[in-house]
Amino acid sequence: MSDKPLLEVRNLSTYFYTQDGIVKAVDGVSYAVDRGETIALVGESGCGKTVSALSILRLIPEPPGKIASGEILFDGIDILTLPKDRMLDIRGDRIAMIFQEPLTALNPVLTIGLQITEALERHRNMHGAVALEEAIRLLKIVGIPQPDQRVKDYPHQFSGGMRQRAMIALAISCEPELIIADEPTTVVDVTIQAQLLELIRGITEKLNTALILITHNLGIVARYAHRVYVMYAGHIIEHGSSQDIYHHPCHPYTIGLLASVPRLDEPRKTRLQPIEGQPPDLIQLPPGCAFGPRCSYVIDACRQAAPPMTEVSPGHYAACRLAVPDRKQS
Amino acid sequence: MKNEVIIEIKNLTKYFPLTSGLIRQKKVAELRAVDGVSFAIHRGETLGLVGESGCGKTTLGKCLLQLYRATSGQVLFDGKDLCQLSNKELRPLRRNLQLIFQDPYDSLDPRFTASDIIGEPMRIHNMHRTPAYQKRIDELINIVGLSPYMADRYPHEFSGGQRQRLGIARALALQPGFIVCDEPISALDVSIQAQIINLLDDLREKFGIAYLFISHDLAVVRHISDRVAVMYLGKLMEVADRDSLYESPLHPYTQALLSAVPIPDPTVEKKRNIIILKGEVPSPINPPAGCVFHPRCFKVYEPCPTTVPQLADIGGGHQVACLHYPNSWPKSE
Amino acid sequence: MTVITDTVRPHRSLWGDAFIRLRRNRLAVTGGVIILLIALTTIIYPFFSRYDFASQDLNAILQSPSMKHFLGTDELGRDVFTRLIYGARTSLSVGIFTQLIVLGIGLPLGAISGAAGGRADNLIMRFVDVIYAFPDLLLIILLRAILGGSIYMIFLAIGLVSWVNVARLVRGQTLALKQRDFVTAARVFGGFGSYITTRHLLPNSLGPVIVAVTFNIPRAIFAEAALAYIGIGVKPPTPSWGAMIRDGNNVIFAAPHLVLFPAIAIGILMLSFTFLGDGLRDALDPRLRR
Repeated sequence: MSDKPLLEVRNLSTYFYTQDGIVKAVDGVSYAVDRGETIALVGESGCGKTVSALSILRLIPEPPGKIASGEILFDGIDILTLPKDRMLDIRGDRIAMIFQEPLTALNPVLTIGLQITEALERHRNMHGAVALEEAIRLLKIVGIPQPDQRVKDYPHQFSGGMRQRAMIALAISCEPELIIADEPTTVVDVTIQAQLLELIRGITEKLNTALILITHNLGIVARYAHRVYVMYAGHIIEHGSSQDIYHHPCHPYTIGLLASVPRLDEPRKTRLQPIEGQPPDLIQLPPGCAFGPRCSYVIDACRQAAPPMTEVSPGHYAACRLAVPDRKQS
Repeated sequence: MKNEVIIEIKNLTKYFPLTSGLIRQKKVAELRAVDGVSFAIHRGETLGLVGESGCGKTTLGKCLLQLYRATSGQVLFDGKDLCQLSNKELRPLRRNLQLIFQDPYDSLDPRFTASDIIGEPMRIHNMHRTPAYQKRIDELINIVGLSPYMADRYPHEFSGGQRQRLGIARALALQPGFIVCDEPISALDVSIQAQIINLLDDLREKFGIAYLFISHDLAVVRHISDRVAVMYLGKLMEVADRDSLYESPLHPYTQALLSAVPIPDPTVEKKRNIIILKGEVPSPINPPAGCVFHPRCFKVYEPCPTTVPQLADIGGGHQVACLHYPNSWPKSE
Repeated sequence: MTVITDTVRPHRSLWGDAFIRLRRNRLAVTGGVIILLIALTTIIYPFFSRYDFASQDLNAILQSPSMKHFLGTDELGRDVFTRLIYGARTSLSVGIFTQLIVLGIGLPLGAISGAAGGRADNLIMRFVDVIYAFPDLLLIILLRAILGGSIYMIFLAIGLVSWVNVARLVRGQTLALKQRDFVTAARVFGGFGSYITTRHLLPNSLGPVIVAVTFNIPRAIFAEAALAYIGIGVKPPTPSWGAMIRDGNNVIFAAPHLVLFPAIAIGILMLSFTFLGDGLRDALDPRLRR
């Protein structure tokens, strides 16, 4: 068991150069995943979570995007400096991705079987009948009934939940060390979501795969993630263990987010507590803390300079000047 | 009167024929989107309608508003059956029935300014040549919490939450008594969702509007509804007042649905055992025989594949359609 | 209730946005400028020219470009440059007026077809298919033979054939737009068919229609030139570039400039519209807003 994290993102910045200005989608973001660990990147639309994941796999379209700075250490090697062909070796083989919308992520003109065997041929040197058998076995693992027949089907012949399972099969086909799941269950119903997430958890536990779970759903993060990184406007504003974040949130955004979501296990409140204001415009971010305009605890210092990341308790960090443990107990 | 029924549907069905054939279209199958649904909504009440994709809740909402014409059944409003009225006869009644959409981007005409959008219902009913028109628009902008200098802006200049507020202002323009809210917050960011829910709540208190709140988000539905109906494959599985449904769900599907919603609390989640339903949501084209839920039901037993359970009241206004409850068994003639 | 404050981006309408994007496309701007210049010249030139397009000077036939005759003279001693400018007037007016006819027929038919659906749609579209099946140039020739050679009849002949793709386009747009939520919203409030079509469907279809019309213009210009080339264009002495090429063909070795200049002119005008159309299409495409 090595002490080093499997993946370490250090100070990543990814910008998009548009006709209206520079969009700092990810701005100085750092996080890490250990082997076999599941971390979650939580945030709302535009916070940069998906862009940071695409940056890891170097799938950012350049132009208009550009990974402006930072390092991404995978098993000790900075993959941002790797030549393209070495990156292709890693992608799909050691790091796999599950996308939000399987309809667009899967090739519509190739059968599922072909897409899986293609990956097997490239990364695991399996061909012909051997590859086909493995593809069928994978489909069985992800719970697709009659896998030997469905392996010849096209993506559009699957229902939404089944497509997502097929994508999971594709992702695990080469036994990756890390899976990045970008909103894997946003498009499916809640009962299918439960099935898929339990499946993913079963697989990651069995194969000791690390998982980066990207989502805006606070519930599934609580259920499946060991550590949580909360993102806002391209920055990580709080991170820590799952317990820390949910029971001792320190950053006003995290606190606000948790307070605004109705929970089935709590008595019904008469009024929800929303976070006031609008999500920020990434081209015209306010000076100082990006959350300042919406923060109910904002002080002048917040408007002048971005707050530093403070360690609130061991392993629990928050980027807020007023970060004090137990500001709000849960 | 709080208890007065404002809108009632009786045995509503909506089947979509699926045809094939080049010249003569032949009906090959039927998509039973809504298959015999009945309920009543009272003045000022919010009925939450939950279900997963394909269950027919959106189609039901549209049938209510006569955007789709029902295949059979009645929609009773203001003493009249809307299904029997022609489009012309419906027009004056449409002032009272409004719709709030799921997609804040698509539901506003990109070429209209905010004022135009809000005022459109009034223009359609020829109420715009009065001085009260502009006043009403300003008033509505204020009510939904937008700033007045945004009145001349175009939808693409607003954020998602603001656009949804525009849609709400538009729905309020003619002072309707009943609004169908079709997943009004699912396309919005989490932190904005609470804002919109509070707004809808406030408006209901202020104006006494009844809502049919369609959603798949069970936690939100619990917050805003007075009563809740659970739908699956075009049929109602359970209807109860809010607390009864969430505290003692009777139908296995309801139990599974509630169990599948993760709680934002890791300690709670660690201890919780969730019910995982097997299989996929079947297509409404060939619904299963007997109880439509039986292939996935974890409490299935022999009569389920052959007997269709009826939605029956088992006490206190709590209705359920499950053969485990004797009232659900179809009455023999 | 908190009042929402807005971000500080400049206020721009959708058209303004598109215009700014168009301006950045250098080819499109070049095309647009050329068209404008040509148009202006055709208007202003008659007041300043020394020559008329029909005035013959039989002592100075087939001359090469010189100071006296900017682009030379033709076989009847007429000033080529003058005839070129007047020919431009013919081409431009053909380009523009045929599109008016195209819009006049294509827009309503397409809109009705798309908005009404069902039988009306079927009927109209089969009619469109029939017309579309004919090779357009032949049909134009046929119509020209029937209608006669005045320039208005040329407009009609070309217009009556070219409306087809606009109708199809508008129908497609309308069909797609009908599904949009804001149309459903209008129906919920009680909006009826014609209101929805005129206030929602048509305005939102304009983008692609504008682009289609801009691409139609060079085709119309070419059609007119082709008609003139084979001898059944606008009746002389109204100049037409096609006719000039035809006449110049006879003396092509002695005076190649008589063919060259009109040919280049046709090319430039067509290209300019094409570049402009390309630019418009990119500028008006809502998906490129990011």
